[in-house]
Amino acid sequence: MRSVCVLVTVCALIAIFGPMLAPHDPTAINIPNRLRPPGGEWLFGTDALGRDILSRLLHGARWSLGLAFVVSLLGLIIGTTIGLIAAQGGRLADWIAMRATDTFLAFPELIAAVVIAGVLGASTGSLIFALTVTGWMRYARVARGIGLSVSNRGYVVQARLAGLSPLAIARWHYLPSLLPSLIVVWTGMLARAILGISTLGFLGFGVQPPMPEWGTMLLDARIHMRSTPLQMIWPGLCVVVSVLAINLTGDALRDALAKQDAKT
Amino acid sequence: MIAVFSGLLLRALVVLTGAALATFALLWHAPGDPALAIAEARYGQNVSKEVLDFIRSEAGFDDGFWTAFWAWLAPLLQGDFGQSSVNGRDVWPDLVTAMSYTFPLAIVSLALGLAVSMPLALIATRRPGSWLDRGAVALASVGVAIPAFWLGLLLILLFAVQLGWLPAMGAETATHGILPAMTLGFGIAASLTRIIRSGILEARGQPFLPAFTRRGVARHDIARDHVAPHAAVPVVTVLGLELAFLLEGLVVVEVIFARPGLGSFLVNAIFARDFPKVQAVVILAAVIFVVVNLAIDLIYRSLDPRLSGRDA
Repeated sequence: MRSVCVLVTVCALIAIFGPMLAPHDPTAINIPNRLRPPGGEWLFGTDALGRDILSRLLHGARWSLGLAFVVSLLGLIIGTTIGLIAAQGGRLADWIAMRATDTFLAFPELIAAVVIAGVLGASTGSLIFALTVTGWMRYARVARGIGLSVSNRGYVVQARLAGLSPLAIARWHYLPSLLPSLIVVWTGMLARAILGISTLGFLGFGVQPPMPEWGTMLLDARIHMRSTPLQMIWPGLCVVVSVLAINLTGDALRDALAKQDAKT
Repeated sequence: MIAVFSGLLLRALVVLTGAALATFALLWHAPGDPALAIAEARYGQNVSKEVLDFIRSEAGFDDGFWTAFWAWLAPLLQGDFGQSSVNGRDVWPDLVTAMSYTFPLAIVSLALGLAVSMPLALIATRRPGSWLDRGAVALASVGVAIPAFWLGLLLILLFAVQLGWLPAMGAETATHGILPAMTLGFGIAASLTRIIRSGILEARGQPFLPAFTRRGVARHDIARDHVAPHAAVPVVTVLGLELAFLLEGLVVVEVIFARPGLGSFLVNAIFARDFPKVQAVVILAAVIFVVVNLAIDLIYRSLDPRLSGRDA
């Protein structure tokens, strides 16, 4: 557990401070130094345009991890709101919200994201939109489920009878019981968002060159697989390590939550 | 049971209608003029305004969103997927060709995933906490974190570039399918191992099992009649997620290995802005996904007697 915490902290620190540690400009083209092997001034070598791979990986953390953070947080806010409206707003609101959730779940999420990002035109904005639109449904289901189970408890009924607004009830009575489960869902969605961003980047629908996103870097590296295979290893390894760290954190949180539930 | 089934069916229809609407709305609001794209595909670069007007009225673009939606949906319901806006050919025959590459790969990958994960989970749960169990869990945890496109590239690097044993690009022979199936099968095996393992462990913890043991029921009979059905329930519930994972993986894997299946079909259509093709694949994926999930829901209900007869 402790090592997992360390790993997640390192990932977060790299995403925040990584660009400051980068020894070179990640987009500076330097053709005479193209496809250098690792070592010396270029610790991880250089890519086909002579750009420093280590610097690109460090800057890439901000794109890959930072965007995943934004996307999963947007999904959390939208999904929780829809779920709470479904739980509190009466039968019609519940039906509409849940059929909307089902409809968005009718597509495999990543395929929908590829289509949305591709059709809207590849840019960071459409990437965020595509992954948010396809990433709120799980939060909505969890929020609705717990919301419904809470809504009949004494303190919520009393708050309602006392004339508290639905917004206040949501804030003071629903959110505290929702938060632990939502955080577990959030870790899963964060990991999915990292995979989604790099997959879209790899397919050419995500962060656009010359920006150093890990999936986009793999797309570049793929062409030079024969001459510099190592170039292809680093970005993928970054994705795997961050996704693994987040998944393990999610597992630990879920176990802790289950233990707490068993106690009460 | 019939009431439950028709309720689920009705819900699937509502969802599919919503899905069609969402797909059409996305492409309707896409940047660029769809009529211009169709006209240029048919008649070349310089098209007159009359031609554009003709295409707009033909496709129902003039009369607003709902007319155009119906002009697309009505033929679709009769199995007419329309014509490509790039080369004017019918979409359906091309779609069938693409499916003939995708479905065998999907089935083989799924079978491979099951063939690895089931024995692995069974061996791992024989002694929970042993090094074998921990190894299986670690392998599965790393496995679900590896993106399919990276694994595919690594396999190409090892088996095609370094060793030269297997072909990497194309789909001419069955050997061309080995690396793609390995890529997809690995991901499926990793996630299934985790789920089957925890399913078995949870089923083992059921309080009625010691009662059977003490009554002298043989171990393998308990495993078959009481542990396995219990463990199957969580596995069946996540099969829908596995299918999503499989479909998503297929897109990436077909692009990497240059297989002319549905995934490549979709990505090429998006790049060419061939919207009738994009719509066709998206609707097809939604139909497959919804129908399989409906089937999963029914299997789930039949496995867990407490749920049968209850409303969704």
